[in-house]
Amino acid sequence: MLEKARVSFFLASRSITRGNKGITIFTVFVLTLIFIQLVLFSSMLAGVTLKFNELMVNFQTGNVVVEPKEEERYIEDASALQKKIESLPQVVGTSARLKTTGNFRYKEKEIGATVYGIDPADEIFVTGLEDAIISGEFLSRPDKGEIILGREVSGGFGALMESRSLGGVEVGDTVELTIGGVTREFRVKGIYTTRYFMADASAYLTRSDLEEMLGIQGRDLAQEIAVKTTDDTPEDDTRTALLSLGISENIRTWHEFAGILRLIESTLGLVRNIMNAIGLLIAFVIIFVVIYVNIVNKKRQIGVQKAIGIEQNVIVASFVLQAMLYAGAGVILGYLFMRFGLVPYTVSHPVEVPLGDMSLKLDNAEALNRAVLLFLSSVVGSVIPAYKLAQKDLLDLIWGK
Amino acid sequence: MGQIKGEIMEIIQKQAEEAVKSMDIIRKQTENAVKSTDEIRKQTDDTIVDTIIEGIDIVRIFKMGEVEVRALRSVNVRIRRGEFIVIMGPSGSGKTTLLNQLGLLDTPNSGKVIIDGTDTSRLSDSEKGKFRLHNLGYVFQDYALLPELNAMENVYISLLMQGKSKTECESAAAEILSAVGLGDRLHQLPSKMSGGQQQRVSIARALAHSPEVLFADEPCANLDSQTSKEVLDLFEKFNQEKGQTIVMVTHEEWHAEYADRVIRLKDGVVQG
Repeated sequence: MLEKARVSFFLASRSITRGNKGITIFTVFVLTLIFIQLVLFSSMLAGVTLKFNELMVNFQTGNVVVEPKEEERYIEDASALQKKIESLPQVVGTSARLKTTGNFRYKEKEIGATVYGIDPADEIFVTGLEDAIISGEFLSRPDKGEIILGREVSGGFGALMESRSLGGVEVGDTVELTIGGVTREFRVKGIYTTRYFMADASAYLTRSDLEEMLGIQGRDLAQEIAVKTTDDTPEDDTRTALLSLGISENIRTWHEFAGILRLIESTLGLVRNIMNAIGLLIAFVIIFVVIYVNIVNKKRQIGVQKAIGIEQNVIVASFVLQAMLYAGAGVILGYLFMRFGLVPYTVSHPVEVPLGDMSLKLDNAEALNRAVLLFLSSVVGSVIPAYKLAQKDLLDLIWGK
Repeated sequence: MGQIKGEIMEIIQKQAEEAVKSMDIIRKQTENAVKSTDEIRKQTDDTIVDTIIEGIDIVRIFKMGEVEVRALRSVNVRIRRGEFIVIMGPSGSGKTTLLNQLGLLDTPNSGKVIIDGTDTSRLSDSEKGKFRLHNLGYVFQDYALLPELNAMENVYISLLMQGKSKTECESAAAEILSAVGLGDRLHQLPSKMSGGQQQRVSIARALAHSPEVLFADEPCANLDSQTSKEVLDLFEKFNQEKGQTIVMVTHEEWHAEYADRVIRLKDGVVQG
C-alpha cells in the first residue's frame, strides 16, 4: 500500500515539476482565481457585516443601551445612573438621551423623523456623530434653539431618499419642529451623515431644548443611556457587570437593535451560498477539463506505465494527487493574496459603498471551508477522467487510440 | 553305442553354447534398448524443463468495423530458456501481434500462453500486470520512455513499484545504465538524449528487474544501422553473458544473424 502511494506521489511530483510548465501555471492560476472568488464574497459579506456593526455601535447605540424599566416611560435620576455606569473600568462613556418622534417642516415640505435630545459633551464619548458632520458644526452644551440634521432629513449631500427629505436644508436655515403639539423653530447648526441611512434619518438637539418641548425640564429624565465600552469587551460581559451594579433598568446590547441588519446579512448569506455553489461547479468543470486534457495527452504514457506493471489505481492516484497539489497551490496562493494583498489593501484603501468606506474581512474558518470544498472538487474532477482512461485497453492506450 | 552317445552329447553341448550366446545377444540388445529409451526420456525432460514460453493454438482476431482480421491463426511456439528468438515476416504477418500475446500485452481470442509454467490465460488483468512487473521486460519501437522522468528514474520506476527502497532502486538503475554505456547520463531527461541513447535507457528499464523474458518490438526501427548494431550487440551481450531470454520482432534480415532461432510468420501462420 505504502509503495503504491510512493509511486503515485513520485509520478505526480515529477509530472508537476518536469511537465508542461504552461499547463501547471494555468491550472494553478485558475484554481487560485476560483479560491479567491469563493473567499471574496464571504470576505465582502464579513466586511459589510462589520461595517453594519460599526455603524450601529458608533453612530446609534454604543455597545449597550440602558432603557427604562418595564412599563415606565423614563429613566429617573439619569445623571446618577450615568455616574454609576461610568464607574465600570471598561466603560468609555455614557450618553443619556431623550428620544421621540417629531414632525419637521421646511418651506412646503414636511416629514417625520426621530429626534434625540443629547448632552453634546457626553455624546462625543459614545458616538462618532461629531466626526460625521459634513456641513456646519456639532452641537455644544450651551446651544439653545439649534439642531443638527441627518442628511436623510435635510436632503442633499447624496441622501438616499431625497424625495422623503426636507429637500435641501442648509446650515443656517430654520426648520420648524413639532413634538406632541408643541412647535418650535430651530436653526440648523450642522448636517451629518454616517452613510447608514437609518442613523441619518434622525435629528439631534440639546437635551434641555427637548426637555422643554416635552415639558419635563429640570427633572433629570432620560429615555435611554447609551454606553460605550472599550473595543475588546464583550457586550454580554458589560451587561453582567451592569446587573452586578444593581441596575434594575432594562439592559440591551446593540445586537438586539440590529434586527433589520441581521435580515440583510442573512439574505446576503444566502446569495453567498448560491455564489459558492456556482463557483464550486465551475471549479469542478475546470479541473475536470484540465485533468482530462492532460490525461488524453498522456494516453501512450499511461499505456506504457500499465505495460511495465504500474497498477491502474497507482496511475489514477497519481493524477488525483496532481489535481490535489494544483488545488493546494491554488488555495495557498489565493489565501496569501487575500490575507496579505487584497484584504490589507482594502483596509488601507477602503471601497466607497453607499454604506460608507468598506473593507474586506477574511474569516479563516470560512477560508478553510472553501479550501476543503475546492479540494473535494479537485479529487472528484480528476478521479473520473483518470479512472475512465486508465481502464481502457492496454494496446489502445499504447497505440494512442 | 558309446561313440553315438558321445556325438549326441557333443551336439547337445554345442546347441547349449549357442543358446547361451543368443541369450547374451538378446540381453545386450535389451540393455541397449533400455539405454536408448532412457536417453530419449532424458532429452524430452530437458526440453520440457527448459521451455520458458509455450504458445498453444493462439488465435487473435481483430474487428475493424464489420470486417474481421485474423491476425494469428492457431500459432504454436515453444521458446527455450536463454534463447534469442527473432520473429520475422512481411508486414501484416502478425509479428507484433504474436509478441503482444507472448508478452501478455494482449489477450488471444483462443489458445493459451504458458510462461515459466504459469498458464497466463487463467490470470486476471491485475494479476497479469503483476506478472509483467516481476517477470517480463519490454523494449518498444519508439523507446516509450516517460518524458518527465530522467534516465535513472525511468529505469527504476518498476523497481519502485516492486517495493524496493530508493537506495536499492538507484544503485540497480545506475548499475544497469552503466552496463548499457550510459553511466554518465543517469540524470538526463529523455528529451536531451539521442534515439540510440533513449533506446539504451529503454533496454536498461526492461532489464533492471532481471526479467525472465525480454520482449522487443522492432527496437531498431527508428535507428540508423550503426546504432542498430550497437543495440543488437547489447542484446547479444545480455543473452550470452547472462542467459537472458530475448524475443524480438524485426523485419531486417541481418538482425536474424544475432538470433539462435528465427520464427517466420506469414498471414498469421508460422512457416516451416
